[in-house]
Parts: sequence; structure tokens; C-alpha cells
Amino acid sequence: MSLVLDNVSYHYPGSTHGLHEVSLDVRTGELVAVIGPSGSGKSTLLQLVSGLTTGHTGRIVFDGKDMSRTPVHERRMGMVFQSYALFPHLSVLDNVAYGLKLRKVGVTERHRRAQELLGIVGLAEYAQRGIAQLSGGQQQRVALARALAIDPLALLLDEPLSALDASVRGHLRDEIRAIQQRFGATTLLVTHDQEEALVMADRVAMLKDGRLLQIATPREIYERPASRAVAEFVGLSTILPAKVASPGRLDLGFAELAADTGTRAAGAQVHVLVRPEHMQPDPPPGSLNRLAGRTGSQRYLGALTRYDFEVPGAAKTFLAESPIPAIQAIAIAPEHIRLLDD
Amino acid sequence: MVRGISLIYGLYLLLPIALLVVGSVGGNWTNTLLPTGITGQWYLDLWQDTSFRKAFLSSLVVAMAACAINTMLALPLAYALYHGARRGGGMAARIVSAMPVAVPAITLAFGYMVVFNTDLAPWLGSMPLLIAAHAILTLPYLTNTLLTDLRHLDLGRLEQAAATLGASGWQQFTGIMLPSLRQSLLSGLVMVAAISVGEFGVSNLLTSFQNRTYPVVLLQAFYGATGFACAATVILLVLAGASALLSSSLVKARP
Repeated sequence: MSLVLDNVSYHYPGSTHGLHEVSLDVRTGELVAVIGPSGSGKSTLLQLVSGLTTGHTGRIVFDGKDMSRTPVHERRMGMVFQSYALFPHLSVLDNVAYGLKLRKVGVTERHRRAQELLGIVGLAEYAQRGIAQLSGGQQQRVALARALAIDPLALLLDEPLSALDASVRGHLRDEIRAIQQRFGATTLLVTHDQEEALVMADRVAMLKDGRLLQIATPREIYERPASRAVAEFVGLSTILPAKVASPGRLDLGFAELAADTGTRAAGAQVHVLVRPEHMQPDPPPGSLNRLAGRTGSQRYLGALTRYDFEVPGAAKTFLAESPIPAIQAIAIAPEHIRLLDD
Repeated sequence: MVRGISLIYGLYLLLPIALLVVGSVGGNWTNTLLPTGITGQWYLDLWQDTSFRKAFLSSLVVAMAACAINTMLALPLAYALYHGARRGGGMAARIVSAMPVAVPAITLAFGYMVVFNTDLAPWLGSMPLLIAAHAILTLPYLTNTLLTDLRHLDLGRLEQAAATLGASGWQQFTGIMLPSLRQSLLSGLVMVAAISVGEFGVSNLLTSFQNRTYPVVLLQAFYGATGFACAATVILLVLAGASALLSSSLVKARP
């Protein structure tokens, strides 16, 4: 059940917003999270795959068959919406059984199947309830069961956790992932929450301004972002302009750092990316890449404290995280300095 | 302050009604504050008065017919307005919403009198014309009720969900929209009936002697015995009041 987007473009009528030549593939049983700021086109992408929006160029292919001309109700996409979109006039059980009813599955069989799915999402006792009697988290579980009931070619999750309280979100996140893996469902997850994407996905696709910037595993997209836009969106970081002084040496203007400059020539303009957990607080004097300064504002997070470290002459502060904040200096190991060329 | 205003408002609203009820069972009521004696005679007279019974029937026929016509018009209209407004055609929806306020019913009646009093269309005074006037007068109320509910339910999202589950456009309309609107359709129709039954101005201008509706005949009653007029008014009040109560309780019952 692999899903391939081949050179898909879409333009909203009368605007330049949309998607520009997006190509990506979701392998059988894989969960690909599509992330990006609002207006990046991530929801449009999901709408096009579901068939709810039509009029794109390029191909949307399932198992070798181009679905671009297939109307939405014949595509068999299991979609879960941010607003749950459960049918208020039907019981929980009938909501889950709705897709099977449309497929002319007999009442006994479809109720049996719906009951089974409700059991899987942990709502077996809620079958006869009305929708209004459920909490948001419970409603989204019903929506997931309803989408799975049609034995979908792919699961399309459109910001499924965004409307929920933080306490429910983490739990349901793990549960959705477990169920997705159990069913081996080929899944596209759209989210603006990069943490959610990193935790849940096999691979993460980053969109911006309708273009695909990078698609990679969560680890790779966090540790080796392809561009500044990806680095800025995924995770926390400090990004500073720099110049290659000589092979292995970077000139930041206010300091020189040792780093792997690769094959870049001296004088090349780059950006330096450092993650907050890689700022070593108060290293011994004489340590490599030691920067003296002082700690600015602090955010106590329990196990860690996140703080701004001010280095004299630097255009902005360094964002750092450690159990105990630095007092007079930080150091950045060369292997944790990532260079971005744009 | 608020309580005081509510009290005064309530008095002005309820006192005449209370007096009507008292008058309808009062024996004799001339030049006194309250009637003297108690009698059921006025209701009995009313029951035996053929013109009132006929008018009561006419009112019911007009109201039911208006309900039937409006159901057929308002459902597709509200549906089209909902989807039209989402595509940027909000003007049509606003016109429908503003119509009952912006266009006084009486202008509609005068317009009808001019148009349908010609040789080309000599239908002034006919039952179908009266029904048409009531239907048009009440259509915005029903359409608005439905439209509000469609927006409240976020029907567009429900239809999208149904579509991804395999429902065709027709299956979305019959399987999702119609059942979701059951309650608001019902409460809207009761409101239509209540408005139609109590409508006086337009009916008075458009009816012929044979098709007079209840409120039109009621006016005649006030030229006769006071008790009789009171009893006739109470009947109308009970009918319209019951409809309104039913309508609002249906709206409230919505989860």
C-alpha cells in the first residue's frame, strides 16, 4: 500500500499559495509526518491525497495506480480531522460502522466489526453512548476507529491532537502510533508540532511555502537539517552567521571556533547551528571552543534549566540547556557544530 | 434595576393577557374594572359559531401548507446558502437573514394587491395566494434556523468526513445533513406555524370573505360581546403560545 506523490503542484485560485512540485513517498506501513509553519501547504497536501481538494498537476499513486482522477468517496482514505467531525446524530457504534454501512455490510457484521475496533481504541463500553457524552480525547479515538473500519489504503491524520489538552495529547500520541503500527497502516500525519512529528514518525517531511525542503528520519532531520529553515523549525537552536577562516576554523566575528568545515574554501559564508544540549557549562580553562560570558534569563524545566548565555560581541545570545546553568563560560565540541550553507 | 424593568415589562405583557383570560370566563363586563359572574358560555358560543370554526380551519390549512412549502424550499435553500457563503457568496445569505426586518410584511401585501388584482392574474382573495404570502413571509425564519444549525454543526467538516468514508454527494445529503437537521427543522416549522397562525396584517389585506383566517375574524368579534371576543383571543393565544413553547423546547433539547 505504498503512496507516492510525484511532482504534485496545486495553486489556490487567484493566489500563489499552494504546493510546488512536491515529490515524496510513503512506504507500506510507514508513518510520514508532514510538518511546516502555517501556510506551508501541509494541509493542502493531505486534502489532495484524500481527494477532498482536486485540481492538482502531477500524480498521486497508490500501489502503482494513479488516483488523481478518483473521486474522494471512492478513494478509501481513512481520514482523521482536528475537529473530530463525528456525526452528532449517530451513536458511537454507528459512527464507527458508518463506512461499512455505505459498503452494504450487514448490520450484525458491521456492528461486530465496529465493536471490535472500539475495543482496540479502548472504548468498548462506550458503544451505545452519544457523541456529546465523550471527551475530546475519546472522540478522537472514535474518529480513528471510524477511519480504520473501512480498511483504508492509507491513514490521513490532519492535526489529530491539536484540539486536545496537553495531558491527553502525549498519551493519545503514543496510542495512535501503537495502533498505526499494529495495523501496519501507511500513514500521513500533518502537524505543526515538530515534537509530535519527531516522536511519532518513521520519517519527517518538512514543507515551507509549498515546497518540500527535506524528508528524512527524525534523528537525521534534527541532527543534520538540510537548511536553515529546517533547522529553525525543528527543535531549539542557536544559529549564527560565520565565515570559514581556514580549513577547520570558523570566524564568528567575536570568536574563532574549531569545526569540521568539510571541503569549503576559506572565506565561504555559512551559518553555524548548535543545539542547546550541546553547550557544555563551565568547561575547564583552556578547553576547545570555550566562550566566556554570562548567563541571562533562565527557564527552570525540572530536570534541566534552559538559559540564554551572553557572549560579549555576539549579535545574539546562545540558547543552552543543562542541569546547572553556566556561570562564566560555555564550550561547544567541534563535532556538535553543524554548518548550513544557505 | 434590571429586575425592575423586567417586572414592568412582564406586567405590560401579562396584564392584558390575564385580563383576556378573566374576561373570557366573566359573565358581564361593561364599564367596570373586572367582569362580574363566571360562565363558560362564551367558549360554547365560540364553538357553535360557524364563521369562527371555519376561520380556525382556514388558519390551520394555511399554516400547514406554509410549513409544507417551506420545508421543500428552506432545506435546499439553507444548504445552498451554507455552501455558497463558504465560497464567498455571503451576500445572498445576508439578504435572506435581513429580509424579515428590512421588508415590512405590509409592503408585501400591498404589492400583492396591486399585482394580483389585474385581469392577467386575478387571484386576489384566493387561498393559494394567501398560502404563498404566508410561505414567503415565514421562509426566512425557517431558513435562518436551519442555517444557524448548519454553521453550529460545522456541516462542511461532517460532509468531508462522510466523503472520505465513501459517501457520495447524495448519501451525504440524506445520511448526514437531513438527520443532523431533524430537530432544527422541526423547531423551525413550529415557529413558522406559530407566526402564520398569528399573522394579521397581510392576511387581512389578502383574504376574501370565504378564506378569512382566525385573526381576521377575531377583529370582527370585538364589535360584539366583550366576553366572546376575549374567549376567541384566548384560543388564538393558546394555539400560538403552545407552538412557541414547543419550538423553544425543541431548540433547547439539542445536545
